[in-house]
Amino acid sequence: MLKATGISVRFGASTVLEGVDFTASAGQITAIVGPNGSGKTTLLKVMTGEIPGQGSTHLNGSDIAALSPVDMARKRAVLPQAGNVAFPFTVLELVRLGLTSGLATNDADHLDHLPERALSRVGLDGFGGRYVQDLSGGERQRVQLARVLVQIWEPMLDGEPRWLFLDEPVSALDIGHQLIVMQIARDYARAGGGVVAVMHDLNLTAMFADRVTLLGEGRVRAEGRPAEVLTDHALSACYGCVLRTNTLPPAGGPWILPQATGIHP
Amino acid sequence: MVALSQMDEGGAPAIRPGDRRARARGLRAGLAVLLGFVMLVSLGWGAADDTRVLAAIGARLGLAEASLRDITIIWDIRMPRMVTAALVGASLAVAGAVMQGLFRNPLADPGLVGVSAGAGLGAVAAIVLGGFLPAALAAFTGAYLVSFAAFLGGWASVIVLYRIATRGGHTSVATMLLAGIALGALTGALTGFIVYRANDDQLRDLTFWGMGSVAGATWAKLVAAGPIIACALVAAPFLARGLDALSLGEPVAAHMGIHVQKLKRIAVLTVAASVGASVAITGGIGFVGIVVPHLLRLVQGPEHRTLLPNAALLGAILLLIADIISRTVVAPAELPIGIVTATLGGPFFLWILLRNRAILES
Ligand SMILES: Nc1ncnc2c1ncn2[C@@H]1O[C@H](COP(=O)(O)OP(=O)(O)OP(=O)(O)O)[C@@H](O)[C@H]1O
Ligand SMILES: [Mg+2]
Repeated sequence: MLKATGISVRFGASTVLEGVDFTASAGQITAIVGPNGSGKTTLLKVMTGEIPGQGSTHLNGSDIAALSPVDMARKRAVLPQAGNVAFPFTVLELVRLGLTSGLATNDADHLDHLPERALSRVGLDGFGGRYVQDLSGGERQRVQLARVLVQIWEPMLDGEPRWLFLDEPVSALDIGHQLIVMQIARDYARAGGGVVAVMHDLNLTAMFADRVTLLGEGRVRAEGRPAEVLTDHALSACYGCVLRTNTLPPAGGPWILPQATGIHP
Repeated sequence: MVALSQMDEGGAPAIRPGDRRARARGLRAGLAVLLGFVMLVSLGWGAADDTRVLAAIGARLGLAEASLRDITIIWDIRMPRMVTAALVGASLAVAGAVMQGLFRNPLADPGLVGVSAGAGLGAVAAIVLGGFLPAALAAFTGAYLVSFAAFLGGWASVIVLYRIATRGGHTSVATMLLAGIALGALTGALTGFIVYRANDDQLRDLTFWGMGSVAGATWAKLVAAGPIIACALVAAPFLARGLDALSLGEPVAAHMGIHVQKLKRIAVLTVAASVGASVAITGGIGFVGIVVPHLLRLVQGPEHRTLLPNAALLGAILLLIADIISRTVVAPAELPIGIVTATLGGPFFLWILLRNRAILES
């Protein structure tokens, strides 16, 4: 269980988050959606201990303020929205950095093979010997995901769920790899782990998320199952454009179609 | 071909694409052998009096017989000089690698960005102001005082530089280099001011030392500065895991379980200790700190756990070779070693700059 209560963040005079409550359960994908600048990344940073904020965050019952970096690394891994690499690492060397700490096992043989398994999982078989700086944007994003997966490969540790925090994990990916990555997240959750993902693609969110939190201007605008949150009214108000929500025939999930005309004044 | 590349002699694990650790281990073995060889050459082995050199080395260890004169030349003149060159070379190369990891920037070098100048200011201040101490006390504290003051000067410089060049965990290359120039100029001016107040005896010390030289190496100076360098060399490998993680940025390193503030504090101390103690014995010797890590990264990749030990070995080798060159090109006179490293390192640095244009222009 991830539970953040009363999160407020100010940068100078501007209030970026105002009294945000957020919960996520293990075994589920919890999506955070909202327009640019609504505070999604900031909320993720507070909940992963990267930046301070008012309020408190509890991960599996422990206050994250009281956890050491190593304890945190054992419980959760974080895929940032953007990142750069200072030196010319190969793909294998970068993914292997995921083994820095917080490992579930000391089994050297198992750990030794994890980077390749993670690369294979994100569709980068045979990329180990390439230089990271020579990869395309989408390939690089998947390399980083492989590194994150290596850190907390087993979704459960000592009977506790581990957590994946993903900031726009599919933003640079083609449609096929979007599905692959979302499926990785779903498998992780189904195996007992927790997944918190910041998303821009509302249809993928509707398809894969178990719960959705809609942020607007630093506050929670709606929270619930995708069908409850992703409504014409809530979305159009929050994103400032006209969106039509429909129901997908077999499963009954929503799908969202933006309207080219009638941008809100 | 595929089968061949995946097989490996002697039952070693198969070569994995992108894994350069095996190569780094091989390189380490090769460098260690080369270092031993260069050390012997530095003691005079390979010149006409081969057997006398070996005998003199062995004599103090009770392994051979040699004349007192030979033993004195080897053990009290050549040996401290050889050990100084090796230790300072290792120390400067490791300081460069750690600093580049700390600044996340392959162009950070203690000599280029004013850290050596800061250490030099500390050392010069200690030499000149030490002259005001009672003679007996000065003789006792002299070398230690110089080492410690150089350490303090280097430490202050790294901290000031880091504060100026790094914001929100991101180091700007341009700011770092320009701040380094300013810092170097300022500490250089202060050094000049103090030198101006020095007496003639001190002055001769200071000029030769200012160009970087291992000629004045003595066991006494080594005893004062060696332990500090040794501490830094021992501490450096413990930084490797953290510096590797830091390559991905401070937030990511923290997410991976690294205590980033602690890492940075220890890295700064390590750089200051190794640069400060080196400058205290030999003065500012440039370019070792940037050339060695750069060459190694090309061959074996940027992982600090293999980079740092190999940098120590290659740094020692390079400075020993530079010392041999400095003693032979204008023999029987000799060049300050700093001139040799600058002559070799300057063009190399320009080459690195050209290779890193993309970083500089971003
Ligand atoms: N370090 C900072 N200093 C000042 N303002 C900041 C800082 N970080 C974020 N902000 C501001 O906070 C607001 C929310 O930023 P945040 O990155 O959380 O948005 P987001 O919802 O993730 O947007 P996007 O969809 O573009 O990623 C923005 O207006 C941003 O300008
Ligand atoms: Mg964001």
